[in-house]
Amino acid sequence: MLMEDVLLIRYSEIHLKGLNRPFFERKLIEGIKRALNNHKVYVIREQGRIYVKGLRQCETDEAIDKLKRVFGIHSVSRAKVFKKDWDTICAGVTGMVERLLNERDCATFKVAARRSDKQFPLNSDQINRKLGELLLSRFSKLKVDVHDPDFIIGVEVRDEVYVYTGETGCSGGMPTGTAGRVVLLISGGIDSPAAGFMLAKRGAELSAVHFYSFPYTSERAKDKVIELTRLLSLYAGTIKLHLVPFTEIQTAVYEKCPSKETTVLMRRQMMKIAEMIAHEDGAKALVTGESLGQVASQTLESLAATDDAVKIPVFRPLIGFDKDDIMDLARKIGTYETSILPYEDCCTVFVPRHPVTRPSVDSVRASESAADFEDLNVHALAEREILNIG
Amino acid sequence: MIYLDNSATTCTLDEAADTAKLYMCARFFNTSSAYQPAVEADRDVQAARARLAECLQADKDEIIYTSGGTESNNMAVYGVLNARRGGRLVAGITEHPSVYEVANSLRQKGAEVDFVPVTDSGSVDMAYLESVLKNDTALVSLMHINNETGAVNDLGAIYKLIKSRAPRAVFHADGVQAFCKMPFKNPECDLYSISGHKFHGPKGIGALYIRKGTRFTGSLAGGGQERNLRSGTTNTPGIMGMDAALSFYRDYQQDAIAKMRACKLRLAKNLMEVDEAVINGPMPDEGAPHILNVSFMGVKGEVLLHALEEFKIYVSTGSACSAHKKGKNRVLESMGIKGPRQEGAIRFSLCPFNTLAEMDETALVIKEQVKYLRKFKRR
Repeated sequence: MLMEDVLLIRYSEIHLKGLNRPFFERKLIEGIKRALNNHKVYVIREQGRIYVKGLRQCETDEAIDKLKRVFGIHSVSRAKVFKKDWDTICAGVTGMVERLLNERDCATFKVAARRSDKQFPLNSDQINRKLGELLLSRFSKLKVDVHDPDFIIGVEVRDEVYVYTGETGCSGGMPTGTAGRVVLLISGGIDSPAAGFMLAKRGAELSAVHFYSFPYTSERAKDKVIELTRLLSLYAGTIKLHLVPFTEIQTAVYEKCPSKETTVLMRRQMMKIAEMIAHEDGAKALVTGESLGQVASQTLESLAATDDAVKIPVFRPLIGFDKDDIMDLARKIGTYETSILPYEDCCTVFVPRHPVTRPSVDSVRASESAADFEDLNVHALAEREILNIG
Repeated sequence: MIYLDNSATTCTLDEAADTAKLYMCARFFNTSSAYQPAVEADRDVQAARARLAECLQADKDEIIYTSGGTESNNMAVYGVLNARRGGRLVAGITEHPSVYEVANSLRQKGAEVDFVPVTDSGSVDMAYLESVLKNDTALVSLMHINNETGAVNDLGAIYKLIKSRAPRAVFHADGVQAFCKMPFKNPECDLYSISGHKFHGPKGIGALYIRKGTRFTGSLAGGGQERNLRSGTTNTPGIMGMDAALSFYRDYQQDAIAKMRACKLRLAKNLMEVDEAVINGPMPDEGAPHILNVSFMGVKGEVLLHALEEFKIYVSTGSACSAHKKGKNRVLESMGIKGPRQEGAIRFSLCPFNTLAEMDETALVIKEQVKYLRKFKRR
């Protein structure tokens, strides 16, 4: 009897697509192959499903774990493959159910068959009934419950027959590389990696930019950002990280501009540099981890004054999130523990004690004319370091 | 590079590294094996042990090799208390974490622990110490030289006090920062911790001196090495490497100490020309010959450290400046040093290979950097 383990992958939203569906499917397969590149597998696409074959049984759990991080996947099932022969199917299903029932006193189930091969003599409904009858007669512990069963026995009849008894939910979203590129402003805190995750989940490829202020921040702080970027790349694929020195800009703002506007002016320069990077990398938007009202620089007025610095769209996927929600998301994606590492950050020198909470665009623009920030920004960009991570 | 962080670790001497390599490669044998080359390696280790013992005017049976300062300190505290099945513990408030955290954890488990405060200059408060020494005190653990300030404890005076007030107590001194930096003599205590990489030996090797007759329980059970107090395959590369580093100090200790002291005095004099610079700990001509702690008011130590890093001058801070966790510096705090003075602390720690020219250059760079960085104050 042929007894191979395969992974059966279901798409999330791609089935809604029309003529460009093959493009999305191809990108999804690329993502799957990238995630499983340490395993010798074949990835096969067939009528609304993707199959991963060739996994050794001991690798399967690890592979499922990796697939949980591939965007565009709705769920994964570990399936057994049988020949298209009714007796083989019955024996196989009985064996699988027997193992499942080993640890239970009783259970409810239903059979959910799908016949894609119309040559197969039984239709979906007939398969459901016949297998249901067989299992009921064989196992007295079993009862049928078609609404809320303990387990569903999935049977898919194609060129071969795939049978599975469970389903692991995955990330959902759209396949990486189907939405174009964005530039994420990443700080080393909790919020920005979560924001990057949100956009990557919708299929965007990421560039990231981090501003560092030696000697106010250290090499270790830089390492922390590199590690956060690596964690994010487990979902988003390779990330191009730009490390931009920011001290000269900070000290210019400090010396030449009104202290209460320090933060918003610094953020404007960060946006401008990020926009330049976006043009270079072919990105169409900026992404930040801001959420409304979290700090003085995240009031509506401050956000507007920041946006005013650039023409490119700025996305803030966490805008309506509470801090707790953001922390939960960061924990879920695995960046939280790194984000909270207490590496020194002495930039507080540049944080005004009384920042303006409702800056006016006109006033901020006027303050900005006190120094040649365009020149400073270009200079900072020229001094940056670029790393490809993941 | 100007390396002024020798209390963190020192550069391994070529002779020490070469010797360590010899015992990794040509003479790699397990000293417990029975054949001739192994026996020879064992003889070499015993000879090294005898030389180390000689520096401490001790018997070679009083030396136990360990993996370094932390293990020696842990082993000392647990070794005494386990042999006694408990008893009061007295420890300095400014001890290294490898004593302080052990004492803290014992206290949490219900042991009676007295932490002894220090004076403004960082040495143990003798009057307080006298007041907590009791008949049932099992162990007193106080460091010889403080790693952050260079404050020195007078072991002789303390030992005498303990003998008169708590005659049953064992006295452990953490000598990690002091060994080789103070003239060699028999430690005026019962247990004395040593770490190889603080005096140009390799990392991962240290020793604990245990005075004959001290009731003591070993730490690691196993093959019975180190007189059955600390099992584990003998670390020949470490032991012989440390021995090679020690031989430098055996030959040149007086000059080495004088050189470090001269550098320290020069650096202190230079730095006192900086506005609002304050020395933390003992006056430079007192205290350890190699550790100087100075606060530059209005500049965060962390920031100055990184600024110096750009000039390849490497120092360390007293305080941990962190946006996430406001870490206080326990040592400076207990000396009554708080606020900007604590935040602005920098520790310079020297070795005999530093030069007066380096002290001048360092001070010059600091003068400039402090002046520049002071322009940016939170407002």
